[in-house]
Amino acid sequence: MSTPATKSQPVYPELEWDRTGTHHILFVAAEDAALARRLYASPPAGTLTVIHVADPAAGETAWNKDLPPQALHLAAPSLGDGLKLLNDALYVAQMGTRIYLAGPEDAIWQASQMADGYGVGRDEVRHAQIGSKARPVFCVHCRTITRGVHTNLVACSGCDRTLFVRDHFSRRLGAYMGFQIDAEVPGDVPAAEVIYP
Amino acid sequence: MSASMQVEITRIRDLAPGIREFSLSPAGEGSFPVYSGGSHIVLSLPLGARPHRNAYSLLGDPNERHTWRIAVRKQEDSRGGSRWLHEQAREGMKLDIAPPMNLFPLVRTGRRHILVAGGIGVTPILSQARELARIGADFEVHYAYRGPEFGVFSDELEALAPGRVHHYVQSRREQIEFRSLLSGRPLGTHFYICGPAGMVAASMEAGHTLGWPESHLHSEQFLAPAGGEAFDVKLAKSDKQFTVPSELSLLEAIEQQGVDAPYLCRGGACGQCELEVLEASGELLHHDLYLSAAERASGRKIMTCVSRLKGGCLTLNL
Ligand code: FES
Repeated sequence: MSTPATKSQPVYPELEWDRTGTHHILFVAAEDAALARRLYASPPAGTLTVIHVADPAAGETAWNKDLPPQALHLAAPSLGDGLKLLNDALYVAQMGTRIYLAGPEDAIWQASQMADGYGVGRDEVRHAQIGSKARPVFCVHCRTITRGVHTNLVACSGCDRTLFVRDHFSRRLGAYMGFQIDAEVPGDVPAAEVIYP
Repeated sequence: MSASMQVEITRIRDLAPGIREFSLSPAGEGSFPVYSGGSHIVLSLPLGARPHRNAYSLLGDPNERHTWRIAVRKQEDSRGGSRWLHEQAREGMKLDIAPPMNLFPLVRTGRRHILVAGGIGVTPILSQARELARIGADFEVHYAYRGPEFGVFSDELEALAPGRVHHYVQSRREQIEFRSLLSGRPLGTHFYICGPAGMVAASMEAGHTLGWPESHLHSEQFLAPAGGEAFDVKLAKSDKQFTVPSELSLLEAIEQQGVDAPYLCRGGACGQCELEVLEASGELLHHDLYLSAAERASGRKIMTCVSRLKGGCLTLNL
């Protein structure tokens, strides 16, 4: 975990089970064998639903083997399918449920927004950034979110402006802010660098 | 503290033995501000030489700008506030009040709301119910009282939530089972309770056992400042020394000295009146609902609205 460059940049404490909960929903959208082993080794009491986004071609992964006995494992071939499964799980979930979201920021913050829609409080959701560090970037000019951004500069998928990716993160939008770089001198664009591998 | 405003008692109604409702209107021109469901005001009551301040929840419609309503239960052992309102208050009298403050607000993003009222604790629940009804939220009310004649706001509640008000009459041995009330509730449900201490504690325990997080459990409990033995106080900064008599709270005694001390709820709930204890020769009697066990043990803090010292002298950083 690194120190955030700005206050609004999310900090992700180490993911732990919240044992005050009586039902648990774990949404995972990236591999992290060490995390999977640690979480599965001491599962919390109560029901556990694992919604696992992974390419079906990947076969056995740390998230679908050595599952705790009470766990229900639901595989989703894409993020979109995973979010649908999460929506169904939240729809029937009861008070006492804790939600754990682990994956690239794009996935976990889309999932987080979905949980917000169910009136879930901040003490019921935990986030962990695993897998790709790619950022979702919100264009402040045309309000489109460009996903999977690895570079400090990116062409907006909505308006094609070249955006500079800031550390400023909006929880509500689930994205980092992107500002046009060549606003002053059009066409004067430095080369992009990969900084969010 | 907060700028005060003057109101006139426009109507007094006896609702049940020992329960009176007061309607208040602005004393001069103008109208009241809008408040939010769950708010309370602090009344300054003219008991003898000094004003005596008591907090009461507003129970009417938060959007009503001309009349505010409160309900007061007569506390036989009270040091005067509720007794004054029951015995001395008359229509046409003017009182100073501190404007509304909300320590028991609704969480409007909630998907469902469960409101629980015990006895006179129904007052903030009423204004919350009105606000929820107005925004079209999904809510239900559970109303517990001693005997059939004490369910004084049943009709008003029924009108706000037809078919969604559940009654529990103690004299008929009906009781709220919090475990079943709170189990199996959909995600995003919020729980609000105002009532006697034992009832609030039982509901919180049920909530915690069922895995409800703090952010969804809301309670309000105003303690009537208990009198007690007299003790001495030194105010280090204002350089005053005096005795807190048995019938006054520490906060009231400080105010009587003309010293401005912080407060909001005057009922041990909000934490606003906290003062630093510099020295205490005697045992601190913490009666508040605010300080943690560790803070109590440290002996460095006291909530002046409800807590006292047993014997000896208390030196405060004020
Ligand atoms: S004034 Fe609120 S705790 Fe004392």
